[in-house]
Amino acid sequence: MSFLHDYVYYIGAFGLVAIGLLIILVKRNLIKLIIGLSILDTGVNMFLISVGYIRRGTAPIFSRPGLEPDGMVDPVPQALVLTAIVIGVAILALALALAVRFYKTYGTLDLRKAKELRW
Amino acid sequence: MVSPVLLLAVPLGLALCVPLVGRVSRRAAGFVPVIASLFNLVVSIRLLPTVLEEPIVANLGGFPPPFGITLFAGPVGMLLSALIALAGLVVSLYALSYIKTGPTVRYHTLYMLLLVGATGVVLTGDVFNLFVFFEILCISSYALVAYVGDRAGIEASVKYLIQGALGSALLLIGIGLLYGLFGTLNMADIAARIDSVDSVPVFVAMALIVVGLGVEAAIFPLNAWLPDAHSSAPSSISAILSGIAIQVGLYAVVRMVFTVFGASSVLLFFVFLGLLTLLIGELCAFAQNNIKRMLAYSSIGQMGLIMFALAIATTGSVTGGLFQMVSHTLSKALLFLAVGYMVYRSGSLEISSLEGMGRRMPLTSFAFTIGVFSLVGLPPFIGFPSKLLIVRSALAEQGVLLQVLIGLVLLATVIEGAYFFRVIQTVYFKKEEGQEARQDAPPMALLSMFVFVAFIVVIGVYPNLITDVLESGASELLERANYIGSVLG
Amino acid sequence: MRATVGLILLAVIGVGVGISLLAIPFGAPKTEIGDYYIENAREDTGATNVVTSVVVGYRAFDTLGEVTVLFVAALGLGAVLATAGGKRGRSGVEPASLILSAGNIFLFPLILLFGAYIFTHGHLTPGGGFQGGAVIASAFLLVYLSSPGKRINESGASLTESVSGLVFVAIGLLGLTHGTHYFLANFLPKGALNTLFSAGIIPVIYCAIGLKVGSELAGVVDNLMEETE
Repeated sequence: MSFLHDYVYYIGAFGLVAIGLLIILVKRNLIKLIIGLSILDTGVNMFLISVGYIRRGTAPIFSRPGLEPDGMVDPVPQALVLTAIVIGVAILALALALAVRFYKTYGTLDLRKAKELRW
Repeated sequence: MVSPVLLLAVPLGLALCVPLVGRVSRRAAGFVPVIASLFNLVVSIRLLPTVLEEPIVANLGGFPPPFGITLFAGPVGMLLSALIALAGLVVSLYALSYIKTGPTVRYHTLYMLLLVGATGVVLTGDVFNLFVFFEILCISSYALVAYVGDRAGIEASVKYLIQGALGSALLLIGIGLLYGLFGTLNMADIAARIDSVDSVPVFVAMALIVVGLGVEAAIFPLNAWLPDAHSSAPSSISAILSGIAIQVGLYAVVRMVFTVFGASSVLLFFVFLGLLTLLIGELCAFAQNNIKRMLAYSSIGQMGLIMFALAIATTGSVTGGLFQMVSHTLSKALLFLAVGYMVYRSGSLEISSLEGMGRRMPLTSFAFTIGVFSLVGLPPFIGFPSKLLIVRSALAEQGVLLQVLIGLVLLATVIEGAYFFRVIQTVYFKKEEGQEARQDAPPMALLSMFVFVAFIVVIGVYPNLITDVLESGASELLERANYIGSVLG
Repeated sequence: MRATVGLILLAVIGVGVGISLLAIPFGAPKTEIGDYYIENAREDTGATNVVTSVVVGYRAFDTLGEVTVLFVAALGLGAVLATAGGKRGRSGVEPASLILSAGNIFLFPLILLFGAYIFTHGHLTPGGGFQGGAVIASAFLLVYLSSPGKRINESGASLTESVSGLVFVAIGLLGLTHGTHYFLANFLPKGALNTLFSAGIIPVIYCAIGLKVGSELAGVVDNLMEETE
């Protein structure tokens, strides 16, 4: 039990990563792939955040005088995740736009139906 | 002193201006990338002599490493940023006449941001910053591949995006592991501490990062997207993707493996992987009937060759690898530019449709031929000294293994020669029914092609012009201690 | 077949990552760099929100890149959808219910105000340019939902986008010429801690980011809405 207790965030994060990866490897519907990418991104972001966590930590904000820096969590992963989320959103937006175009062009979202490019 | 950060800030600022310029005149928007690339070229060349003596380390925001982000402008970074600026300048001149339809203002903005991303990757000294610029490079290429909006373009872009996004996620996990292990994101700082941690987690982080970056670097077996994307994009974009984007990806892999991880034990694996990539690329190219796909597979082969040379990791071979990077950028970009108008005039991507082009478009065909000769490695073009250097430095190593491997490299070159000369034969020596009028590419496009031709011939005849830069670049990549010392002081 | 290969691949990655995670104990004390930031951020940047001082102070260059990524995506989305051929109006869409359209009139300015509050106070409280920008874009999404005929002023949005991006770059370049002569260096007075006008360039950059992200995301929503028939 203590293993689960010690690593619960890592397990959760990599659970999401595994789900996302499996969807991308197995599914062939474009929207499902995009959902998979989104889950994968969420898992990665959660992993980054949990790297910087310390037990019973607080947010690293000195919002009122007299706060001690002792219990504050590492701010770097939070800054990284902020960037990573925005990049994830950017990829997602572009992927959705391409999905719209793909559907208009081929009349389906099934990637197996697109056969222009076979050598 | 000129700060290397200008190489990123000024083009980025100009890229933000393109939509504003585009409101006034759509045509004027096309000239902004020309100005920005020219600026970058001048600054890079001005900084080159300085960085040959001592690399410039710029601490952004005034915070010393490892607390702030640093830019590291060494010989390799400056060489590649000059190369990016040169290719960017020539291709943006070409695009002035080539890109006429569609949302052209958006095209020029995305194109500039692609160059900014590539320059950022080669200059940064911070792992996470590398990821950010890498994403700028990747996302703008996803969008530009789909620019024409035909069936093939959309399909290629979708495939490219899915595989690229998967790679970025793995890269980010690797970076997260690095931060967890070392508590820092500065490349030099990580490199200095690399031995303080158990080697298994470090190896896992390296594997994730190499796989993540390897998608863009077209390392076998992560290159399934490349032939589709490079053949479906507009030719000006194919030239930049083949000439710049994948090499920048490879540079990132090399920088991580050589400098950050200092992983000399896995280099033999990369030698074999490079050779495998080379052989598979050339064999697939041999089987193609589609000219742009053939060039794309040939790019995979060339990446394999460069990786092979770099992974041997002697001063001579790394110099040869960097030389081959320069040679591949110039030759392959030239080929895509020439093919762009040939395909445009013939209306088909089939190699057989290029019959009689030698008479219909003599100057374009001439430029194409120079590119082919250079890529295959014939004297007096740039491909000859670069390939010769790789072969000579590999043979200088003792050991039967490398001798056998270099035999395979030569075999790949023969295959390359075979399929390229088939195209040359089609262009010049096949009779065509009914003579068509001479109809060459527009002057601006011809000018851009002949700039490349000039560089190919001049460096081919006088390779000593750039050997100094290449050699100090090789020692920058091989001497980790110097890198760490110059960043951390 | 595909699933088997996928599962094997996942197992390999899982084992590798699992082993390396054992070396990164969960919930352990912070890293040196994290400690340094928490100790010195107030003095170095003048912001009381340490995450903000990392995002817009120590690692501001990442943020410039991040803004660029979003810009690239918005442009790319526009380019990909623009080639689809003429934009369609949304004439066939049913009008929204009275509750939604009446609520929107009250909520729209409040949401905008809230977004502006979030990005102007990014250096003091949780939040910042990206969060505020997203809130602002959600106000425009609400307008689209409540009155289907309405459009945002596209040229105004793209003007805001470019100009606020240029402000960010210009502040960076001013840092190169003023003060300590570093790109993105803080050349404005840092002011008193925990007041609105403090932390030098941080609130200025966050306002630019907030406007840029807001107009960009609103533009993205606009582009995608036009595509739905």
